[in-house]
Amino acid sequence: MIRTLITATALCLPLVGCASIGSVEPWQKGVLAKPEMSFDDEQASTRYNEHIYSSRETTAGGASVGGGGCGCN
Amino acid sequence: MVTPAVSQTYGGDGLIRFAFEAMAGPCEITLAAIDDARARHLANLAIAEVRRIEHKYSRYRADSVVSQINTWAGVAWTACDAETEALFGYADALYAASGGLFDISSGVLRRAWDFHAQRIPTDAALASLRKLIGWTRAERESGRIRLPMIGMEIDFGGFGKEYAADRAAALLLEQNAIHGLVNLAGDIRVLGSKPDGSPWRLGIRDPRNPTGTIADIEVSGGALATSGDYERFFEANGRRYCHILDPRSGMPVDYWRSVSVLAPLAIAAGSHATIVMLKQAAGKAYLDDTGLPYLAVDYDGHCHRRSVQPVARMSLS
Amino acid sequence: MAATESTPTGALVLMAALALPGLLPSARAESAPDSSMIGIRNLHYREHQPNLERITVNSPSLVFMTPLAGEWTLNGELVIDNLSGASPRYHTAISGASNMQDKRTAADLRLKRTLSNGSVTLGAAYSNENDYRSAALSIQGTVDSGDRNTTLLWGLGGANDKINPVNLAVRDERKRSADALLGVAQVLTPVDVAQLSLGYTTGHGYYSDPYKTFDNRPRERRQTALTAKWNHHFNASGGSSRLSYRYASDSYGVRSHTIGEEYVQPISEGWTLTPALRYYTQSAAWFYADPNYHPILGPPFLAGISLRTRPILSLDQRLAAFGALTVEFKVSKQLTPEWAADLKLARYEQRSSWRIFGGSSPGLAPLTADWIEVGIYRRW
Repeated sequence: MIRTLITATALCLPLVGCASIGSVEPWQKGVLAKPEMSFDDEQASTRYNEHIYSSRETTAGGASVGGGGCGCN
Repeated sequence: MVTPAVSQTYGGDGLIRFAFEAMAGPCEITLAAIDDARARHLANLAIAEVRRIEHKYSRYRADSVVSQINTWAGVAWTACDAETEALFGYADALYAASGGLFDISSGVLRRAWDFHAQRIPTDAALASLRKLIGWTRAERESGRIRLPMIGMEIDFGGFGKEYAADRAAALLLEQNAIHGLVNLAGDIRVLGSKPDGSPWRLGIRDPRNPTGTIADIEVSGGALATSGDYERFFEANGRRYCHILDPRSGMPVDYWRSVSVLAPLAIAAGSHATIVMLKQAAGKAYLDDTGLPYLAVDYDGHCHRRSVQPVARMSLS
Repeated sequence: MAATESTPTGALVLMAALALPGLLPSARAESAPDSSMIGIRNLHYREHQPNLERITVNSPSLVFMTPLAGEWTLNGELVIDNLSGASPRYHTAISGASNMQDKRTAADLRLKRTLSNGSVTLGAAYSNENDYRSAALSIQGTVDSGDRNTTLLWGLGGANDKINPVNLAVRDERKRSADALLGVAQVLTPVDVAQLSLGYTTGHGYYSDPYKTFDNRPRERRQTALTAKWNHHFNASGGSSRLSYRYASDSYGVRSHTIGEEYVQPISEGWTLTPALRYYTQSAAWFYADPNYHPILGPPFLAGISLRTRPILSLDQRLAAFGALTVEFKVSKQLTPEWAADLKLARYEQRSSWRIFGGSSPGLAPLTADWIEVGIYRRW
């Protein structure tokens, strides 16, 4: 099992070149282009949640700016 | 000239396939079928790019850049643009990496080798053609090139198809088409996994059986290209004479039946495969040196390989 | 490792190939979209505590995104909240809960310019209720490294709120705040990307709740939050995990941890399932007073606290120490190439016993909220 893992990992390297962290080549970024892999949280769904949490919890935001306020209790 | 049609088929696997003829072979672009109109738009973009490159560099077209350069060989300079100069730069690198075996000016040997007539040329004929070979002798200045002797010629047949596959893939990736592949007559560039995340299963052709495969490999990215002795050849005196010619002797190579290489780009995979064919027995050490996964079948039918993952099937016919 | 394993020959060919034009996709991380989208969504939210139906909210909204000339993208949202129900005047007291009926209209616009090595986004937000008005502006930017594996993010924002409660507790009160954000996103492997960001908010003005008894909060608030996110894609299943963690600390003395995990799993025929879990816990604000009422006067009067000097004080449940858990499930479906729809169900529960730090905040009823979101979108 361990040997299989090591072999599989070693054999992957030349192709995916998972060389060292952070040196991902442009042609390896297919997966990273998926919307679910992005940090862009400008989705309406996220906004509803943020709004609900900000009206029920003290900490709000922190990862974006300029959200604006409301008088929601 | 009538533009050949593109045929469109749907797989039950959430894929849509666009088949077309280009670069003297059957080609196919496969994309995720979620958005039909968009897939068609993307495929058309990619096919247009393949056709652009074919048009610009085909040695069969009198108006191509390559034909212009060859026509004025030994006579005059021909202007070339940045893309053409970049391809010359790549040809320089292949010449250096192969010790002069990969020479884009060795196509003149085709004048002696007639694969239809199945005729073995005379030593004298090859000797006179060899004098016209020598990529390093081409005179180059910024924006123009001149081949020094009348009769010399160059072509990008050794990597043009792979270059087109990578350019088409880059266009598709720029449009976020991340599931799919570009297959130009067997040279395959994978954009990313299948829509369900699983890898593509690519078959490697059996060099002695046009309809059989010798191995299946699973690939989620990068490119697979094969160079083999089966594309154009004839047999005489009990040996096979193929279209891959050693520029030093003018004779066909005969050590490898086929060499398949997996690399990040199709152009790199294809160039490595061709260099190995040309290096013959020394090709094995070269292949091992590249560190890339490969599958090579030698003159005896023995497989040499470095796997990227367990190869599913390895039965030799 | 792969790079050093390759000999100069192998690397030479690849490097020469990379010198060719057009072989690498350009500016893909930040490419302007080439299609427009419009969608309508509705949120139905219901909140309750034992023996009290608290508020119900219906929020229809319109979302849109469209590329403008060249590298510009405009996206925005218009939302109307229709709120009705009851809210406790102090702690989670049922008797005397204030009944309310409120309508909020809000708009949010973002104009984004995609650049060769990043982007700049200008944002404006406006929210209006009969007793509260807020206007906010922001500018955010990203800068990509040459290999696009590292992205720096920055942002500055400001908001100006005006408060005129219907009970006339105060008049023409204001709250002004400014926030700043600095972060970095890093591609770690072909299937991992992480982001770390630090956000700082400072504000002054009227932070109290005019409808709550004795509510008198500091007129200044500063919050620092550190957020870490990690997205990982599983090639085997085709699913993606989105993990996030936030630590925040503010001048009210509230510290909080938030941890969230969302798993996006595309399945066949355009269906995608997204279950999600979130846990939040906070300590109590220094001026939050537990429901420890005066033995003679009874609630809402507190034992041992003289109200004569109008002390900084709040009996708001939101400022107590508690823990909260959200369980969510979302189903989305690409109906046709142009149309898509989604449905989300969520349950949120807040209990003081679920806190992991901070002093005890006893005597509060748990708060439960359920919401359902439906959306339909068209792209062209």
